[in-house]
Amino acid sequence: MTAPPLATLINELTKLPGVGAKSASRIAYHILKRTAGEAEALAAAILEVKSKIFRCSTCNNMTDVDPCAICGDPRRDPAIICVVEEAFNIATIEQTRDFRGVFHVLLGALSPLKGIGPQDIDVGGLLRRVQGGGVREVIIATNPNVEGEATALYLAQQLRPFGVRTTRLAFGLPVGGDLEYADQVTMAKALEGRREI
Amino acid sequence: MILTRITARNFRNLADSPIDFHPATNLVVGRNGQGKTNLLEAIYFLATTKSFRTPRLASVIRFGESSVYIAGALRRLEVEKTISVGLELGEQRRRVLLINEERVTLPTYVSAMSVFAFSSARLEIIRGAPEERRRFLDRGIASVEPSYLDALNRYARILKQRNALLQSGSATPAALDPWDAEFTDAGGTIQKVRGAYTELLARKFDAIVAEHGYHLRGLRIDYRASSADDLRSLRREELRTRVSLSGPQRDNLDFTIDGRNASEVVSAGEQKMVVLFLKFAKLELFREKFDEPAIFLLDDIDAELDLEVLEKLLSRLPSKTQVFATSAKERFLAALEAGAHRRLTIENGRVAVTRDFP
Repeated sequence: MTAPPLATLINELTKLPGVGAKSASRIAYHILKRTAGEAEALAAAILEVKSKIFRCSTCNNMTDVDPCAICGDPRRDPAIICVVEEAFNIATIEQTRDFRGVFHVLLGALSPLKGIGPQDIDVGGLLRRVQGGGVREVIIATNPNVEGEATALYLAQQLRPFGVRTTRLAFGLPVGGDLEYADQVTMAKALEGRREI
Repeated sequence: MILTRITARNFRNLADSPIDFHPATNLVVGRNGQGKTNLLEAIYFLATTKSFRTPRLASVIRFGESSVYIAGALRRLEVEKTISVGLELGEQRRRVLLINEERVTLPTYVSAMSVFAFSSARLEIIRGAPEERRRFLDRGIASVEPSYLDALNRYARILKQRNALLQSGSATPAALDPWDAEFTDAGGTIQKVRGAYTELLARKFDAIVAEHGYHLRGLRIDYRASSADDLRSLRREELRTRVSLSGPQRDNLDFTIDGRNASEVVSAGEQKMVVLFLKFAKLELFREKFDEPAIFLLDDIDAELDLEVLEKLLSRLPSKTQVFATSAKERFLAALEAGAHRRLTIENGRVAVTRDFP
């Protein structure tokens, strides 16, 4: 039988995403083998992230300063807003270093099956930002799946009265791939989104 | 590709030992209840991950077991491939599809081996619910266009979301709009493809019936797409009934003779012939698109079938078609004995004797 403090730790670890019972117990025994200092550093880091990280009041990004480092950066163009589903999507777009606008995190996507409607994601915050003026373009970068697509259409509909340019990320062929491996839907979307060269 | 060997584990009453097949024709004889149909069903399951007898896959798993596995060896010219499907039911539902030991997606998997099945269960195409006919159409389309399965999956997901929205009671026209754009787009794609395929199928069917001088003329095959002329008034109705009232899930395929439902005017034997002709039509459409050997399964050949016509049909099959046929009586298989073939006898799920002819 596992000693109660160890069992508690394992139980807490299994609540983490992607961690099953086996991994949880491996992590717990690993922590046990380390020095007390290392365990304290881990615990402190967890506590600190909870006390010091919050959502940016402008864009919902995870941050320790308000506005966040992106919203507060004078070199970035606040007239272009890129809308994503989750805060971790920002990192993917930032990796390209090509985007110089700002973000808006919706905190989810429409999904009636999960009971998520327009009032459960932060559409209001986006509309307020656009209403505030100075926004030239909204780039909708929700996921290219059924739910992300419906969310994009909903946003486009809500943004229409403001007369702001609304664009959607292109769908298409993966770079470095072969045409023959493209599925029908992707191919149709790629044709639809073709451009002149 | 043709099937040279199959190994089943926990599939109905089939024994676990491998069974080797003839590249041309395989005739399976056995008394009722010995596993003839199970063997064909296993081949069909290996090719499609589905059964031609039942939509409930749990029933193919041997009683008391929770998983089923079938592996097959395929060959074309000098190329050999192994494919396998594993299905686990119960708490952790899992399906593992492998080609040459590597995991693949469903559309890739099903395009490895093309099979067409005729069995008396397929009479449901004529007399069963509209759902049977939609499945019949969809499988035919997928045989010539594997990525059609992706389009079906996408539509199914949108339909699920839209119905959930209608059922939630918080559906308003503004909330429905974003789903409707996708709903009409994905649904329209499916209906366009279904319509085009039905037209080709009906033409092939007519040609086959005429060619064999079969007395059954004037059978019409019409595809009826369920689409809304007036989306707005339909929406009012949908908000009341809380379910989507138009779209591919409500399409129908009509078989009629002089405006009357074919199942009411045509005898049981004739219905079997209609289904048989439809299967040959599907196979021909496949062959026009791909220069690929196909596998043709004929389950339970009996006196109700017009054996003379069957013999002619089979003699005109492209030479690369591999045939598997079962019957309780040897004499019914005489129609298939013209070319090189293998005889298999099955007893209690075990292939007892095999012998090659000539």
